[in-house]
Amino acid sequence: MTLHDLALTVGNSGLGAWMRTNVHAMPVVEALHVLAAATVLGTVLVVDLRLLGLNDSQRRVTVVSHEMLRYTWAGFSCAVITGVMMFAANANTYYGNTAFRIKLLLLAAAGLNMAIFNLGALRSVVQWDQQQRTPRAARVAAALSVLLWVSVIFVARWIGFTKGYDFAVPDNVDLDLTIP
Amino acid sequence: MEPFAQWLQATPLSIAIQSSSWLVPLLQSIHIVMIGLVFVTVLLLVLRVLGVARTEQPPSVVWAQFAPWLLRGVTVLALTGAVLIISEPVREFTAISFWLKMLLLALGLSAVAVLGKSLRRDAPASRSLAVLTLLVWIAVVFFGRAIAYDVEVWGALSLKA
Repeated sequence: MTLHDLALTVGNSGLGAWMRTNVHAMPVVEALHVLAAATVLGTVLVVDLRLLGLNDSQRRVTVVSHEMLRYTWAGFSCAVITGVMMFAANANTYYGNTAFRIKLLLLAAAGLNMAIFNLGALRSVVQWDQQQRTPRAARVAAALSVLLWVSVIFVARWIGFTKGYDFAVPDNVDLDLTIP
Repeated sequence: MEPFAQWLQATPLSIAIQSSSWLVPLLQSIHIVMIGLVFVTVLLLVLRVLGVARTEQPPSVVWAQFAPWLLRGVTVLALTGAVLIISEPVREFTAISFWLKMLLLALGLSAVAVLGKSLRRDAPASRSLAVLTLLVWIAVVFFGRAIAYDVEVWGALSLKA
């Protein structure tokens, strides 16, 4: 099964059909997606600003990150669920959309950045937990994190302006859709 | 309101914004990033009132730390929002969700100001007001997105129906 097959399977699923036929589905799901994205971005920003020494410098890094992480994951889970729902509504157009593909790559990059930070700089956190100035690797990870998550939002908004729509062509209309 | 919206939409400024292919997506992206900042700031203030987060910090410290971020975020939201309204005044001013959003926004800002009065003085703030504040801000975001779907959300009530 190729990725395209997988996309089509999601699009042709009951979820996809439900998203396309229920008029209230899209606005509600999109609004939840924005709220979820706002929660992820905002909570990640609180942790990143602490790592950069720009906010919360009197609080321990582990306290700030531990406190925010549950909201980040709650927001992220909600964003994934609502994201899949939106994808199912227009799977084929999202699949072929460049902005959508870049968004997924940026999400993967943000995840990789977090994994590298967790397996690297964060392991020695006991030594700098209380310091305003964190190690360079932690500051680089935080700056990258801000950059990547803000980019995710920008590219994601761009999808809506470039994706076009799936629509059924009436039988009596002859559309020439060949690309010149 | 609609004649005014029609007039605004025909002004050179509005047309200039409309004719840019990247300005509206750019402003909307900045708007969403700032929603992240403002929403989580409100969330942190509410969680402090509820005693769920930052309990080791006095409420006045939490307020002093996050109120400036809230103000900056709201300012950028107002500026980007204003330009977005100028670009599509008819769509915005004829949407029920737009006016509901503005009403809820006024309520949300007032509610934060009331909570701030208690937080600043380290006085106990109303927990139910804190929960209500968070719900109002969630509704602001919700109806902000719903502006694009006025008929779908409001059905026959929508002026666009």
